[in-house]
Amino acid sequence: MHIPDGFLSPQTYLPAYALAAGGWAWAARGLRDSLDEATVPRLAMLTALAYGLGLVMVPIPGGTSGHALGIAILALVFGIRSAFLAYSLVLLLQSLLFGAGGITALAVNALAIGLVGATAAVAVRKLLRRFGETLAIAVAAWLSVVMPGLIVGIVLGIQPLIAHQPDGTPLFFPFDLAISLPAVLLPHLFIGVGEALLTVLVLRYVRVRRWPMV
Amino acid sequence: MAHGLSPRHELLLYFGSVVAITFIHQPWLLLALLALALLASGRAAWPRLHRSVLAVLAFNLTVSLGYAAIALWQGNFRGDYLLLVNTRVLLLVFLGFWLVDRRNLLAALADWPLLRLIATLAISQIKTFERILRDFRLAFQSRNLKPPRMLDQTRHAAAQVHTLLDKSMASANDAAMAMRSRGAFDD
Repeated sequence: MHIPDGFLSPQTYLPAYALAAGGWAWAARGLRDSLDEATVPRLAMLTALAYGLGLVMVPIPGGTSGHALGIAILALVFGIRSAFLAYSLVLLLQSLLFGAGGITALAVNALAIGLVGATAAVAVRKLLRRFGETLAIAVAAWLSVVMPGLIVGIVLGIQPLIAHQPDGTPLFFPFDLAISLPAVLLPHLFIGVGEALLTVLVLRYVRVRRWPMV
Repeated sequence: MAHGLSPRHELLLYFGSVVAITFIHQPWLLLALLALALLASGRAAWPRLHRSVLAVLAFNLTVSLGYAAIALWQGNFRGDYLLLVNTRVLLLVFLGFWLVDRRNLLAALADWPLLRLIATLAISQIKTFERILRDFRLAFQSRNLKPPRMLDQTRHAAAQVHTLLDKSMASANDAAMAMRSRGAFDD
């Protein structure tokens, strides 16, 4: 789902970087104290797993495919702060090592997936816990994909309004909200189902191994 | 990228170049910059360009074809827009690969030891995961002479995740023991 390099205007990604910098500073505060010799390797492994899940293609009806994010797994095991930092690292590695995503889009992707996705997962799980843990985790994971999809669709869709030539020709992403929002959001309604299944599966593993969860 | 710069300065130069490029809206100027970057890359230019094209091809092709179809239908097609956006994306990705080829990413994180530690562990795992997933993909292709059904693809995705999980859990324990034995948390 992440936005690639070169499709966001500086009017979008520079304020997003300012916002993300504040988020990264907040997330990093106290991180050293909350991580120890057991949790650092786990966080690193789940960061790598989130990266690996991004490479696993999940089939979508209609013959196309998308990929899982793994943000709900990170958020439900380590909390919002660590998940935000870890997923930002995943995005940085993906953009620099494989040209997936990109430096100009990093802040928007990190805020949408790493912060909003993680927050949605943790909040929804807490809210729905009384209806059963599996249902709560599944809905939390589904929303952790759909919410970032919504944000990415909106950010892309407003680009023609923000940056265009005097004759209206776009300078960055060319499609407005009417096209970009359904194009991004609809497939992620299905990808979210795959993400929910994966997250339930992974968190069962985590519970069997008795890792502490938030 | 300039020689003799520290990793941190080179990183800053890269970020500055990226921001400057997004303020340029003349496709010919971006093409000239891409040509300059190719010339400055020497023998690495074509392999790097090939890698960059492959990295951006799927998304850019989708966006470009979508734009062309809609703009032609609405009667406001602009070829210079396609040249602008595709050249910009290619140049940005090319510069990113150039930076990574020249500099160890971990060296640029030297000021953040905990982040560098997590990144080091994560990158080593990522390399393992990529090999596992490549093996899975090749095995899956070799078993399916016809296009696989959605059920088969779903089972294949689940099997991959299962393996990644097993590997992750085992590696986390190994890394924890290795780090403890080397006194990684003693300070």
